Amino acid sequence: MKLSLSIAIALLCATAVARAAPPPELAPVEGRVIWVDFWASWCVPCRRSFPWLNSMHRKYGPDGLQIIAVNLDKDRALADGFLAEVPAEFALRFDPKGALAKQYGVQAMPSSFLIDAAGNVLATHAGFRTADAADYEQTIKDALSKSRPQR
Amino acid sequence: MQLKRRNAALREIGTPLAAATCALLGQSAPGVVEAQELKPWDIDSSMLIYSESDGRVQDLSLNVWGRKELLEDKFLGLTLGVDSLTGASPSGATPANVVQTFTSPSGNSQYAVAPGAPALDTSFHDTRVDVSASWEMPVARLGLLSVGANLSDEFDYTSAGVNARYARDFNNRNTTLSFGLALANDTVSPVGGSPIPFAPMLGVGDARNKDGDQSKNVTDLLIGLSQVLNRHTIFQINYSLSQADGYLTDPYKFLSVVDPVTGNPAAGPPGSGRYAYLFEKRPDTRDKQSIYALLKRDFDGDVLELSYRYMTDDWNIDSQTIEARYRFNFGANRYLQPHVRFYQQTAASFYNTVLFAGAPLPTYATADQRLGEFDGITLGLKYGQETASGNEWSARIEYYTQSGNASPGSAVGALANLDLYPDLNALIAQFSYKFGRR
Amino acid sequence: MKLVMKGVVGLLVPIAIALAGCARVEPWDRDVLARPDMQIVADPIESAADQHIYFSKEASSGGQGFGGGGCGCN
Repeated sequence: MKLSLSIAIALLCATAVARAAPPPELAPVEGRVIWVDFWASWCVPCRRSFPWLNSMHRKYGPDGLQIIAVNLDKDRALADGFLAEVPAEFALRFDPKGALAKQYGVQAMPSSFLIDAAGNVLATHAGFRTADAADYEQTIKDALSKSRPQR
Repeated sequence: MQLKRRNAALREIGTPLAAATCALLGQSAPGVVEAQELKPWDIDSSMLIYSESDGRVQDLSLNVWGRKELLEDKFLGLTLGVDSLTGASPSGATPANVVQTFTSPSGNSQYAVAPGAPALDTSFHDTRVDVSASWEMPVARLGLLSVGANLSDEFDYTSAGVNARYARDFNNRNTTLSFGLALANDTVSPVGGSPIPFAPMLGVGDARNKDGDQSKNVTDLLIGLSQVLNRHTIFQINYSLSQADGYLTDPYKFLSVVDPVTGNPAAGPPGSGRYAYLFEKRPDTRDKQSIYALLKRDFDGDVLELSYRYMTDDWNIDSQTIEARYRFNFGANRYLQPHVRFYQQTAASFYNTVLFAGAPLPTYATADQRLGEFDGITLGLKYGQETASGNEWSARIEYYTQSGNASPGSAVGALANLDLYPDLNALIAQFSYKFGRR
Repeated sequence: MKLVMKGVVGLLVPIAIALAGCARVEPWDRDVLARPDMQIVADPIESAADQHIYFSKEASSGGQGFGGGGCGCN
């Protein structure tokens, strides 16, 4: 599981990066903690999650949180339309055939996986509810503090 | 005029009604969720015209449905409808070769029907208002609960009901099991009072054959299963049970009593100035069961919808309904959808086109064509378009025709040359405008 | 009531079991089913108008359900 996830992350990082809006330049080194988010244009909770993801990116990006949102639309134009209305400040990947989603074992739309640099899955969230946003944020904070190098 | 009861369902609307409604329900503006993240009001509005030929029923119906996410994943639904009904309605009497005079339902006047003409009661116009409210919320991750209430009121009929529905997803939300329960209480206050069953029609001002208000209770149960068959197809099958208890008779309908050989109207009560017409009598309970199956399939952007319903009840009525729609989607924002519906029902066991003088009265009897044996066909076409602002309007026109058969053995004597079961031909036109689809 | 329950168990449960094995559409493959025109009731106000008309003119009513299909989100 860990190995395949590492491969998956490698694949993620290896595939072309595409962004909809002019973003802050991503640090060339890998983030200490990665939030992988699977979304699609037709998914209403995804629309609700993007502003929150943007705020997490602003708040914890400097601390080492890297958000990668994987789009699962089969038609790229639909994803672009969504991004024009709900811009993303974080990195995007496109997986129209759903290969990555299958590899991660996505059970709901949207789904997110919090992964440390070693490839361990620290947390999984099926769906997005704004009422649970504080809990999601807490898992990020816990993951970041755990991966902070010991001084 | 058939007295109606509209089923309540979830529906949606939009504007600064939101704040007012929030205050009304005692909900403070959501704290965790920013107001603009919640879906805005969805409003569906429509104007419908239903028009039967031959001077029969005309209905103009205006409706507004609204739905608003008040708290995350929790929706308020509100609906409002107003119907204006006019036109004539079959009274249940058969045509005759002589002038027939009937006392109006109020008992205060009378109307005449020419020889050979259908016996239509023209004294109706009514305005009906109905409102409903519903609240929908998730239950745990995979469940959905909705509760609602509805109220409708017209001059002679009031209906109040509550309903609850629960749906639960399985198999990664590929399968959904649903349960619905609806309870309604209806009060019938017929103009002029409710007729005593099988009482004869009397002259103007004579109310000896009339009684007071009546009521009935209806309980509906639904169990359903939806299943995603593949990326393009969804299937649903439902079982429904309906039990009605109380006054199920139509207070404005009666049957003609005719001579068994000549088919001419028999004489009514002495001094009434009427032929013999007896007010109808129906059982005071009715149990209905139905199975309904629906298939929806996407064909490269177009949608086919096919459904079948079989209904059977303890009045001995069996019916089958087959319906098909095919939506041609042009581009992302317009569509054309033809529609066809076939309907067939058998007559109620106590449906009698006429009663014969001298024969013993049956236990129950009605000449209401809606409980007779008939086929119905609907052909329709709908066009819809999305506007530049993301709203949608649509217009449809449908033609509905019913043709049926009088009860066997009723075409005696003069009746053999008269139309004992006139066809119904109706035109339906509806225009709707949906706000807030984005 | 017993007959009703027998009917439900006898009819719906085997269908449910059979259908469950039919297909398992992945959550990210719900794009088509998420479309408004693919919902079980695509146009509620039209559906209610029709139900009202046919309830008034025929002896049958109802049967239509709710729930299921759609995007399957969350």
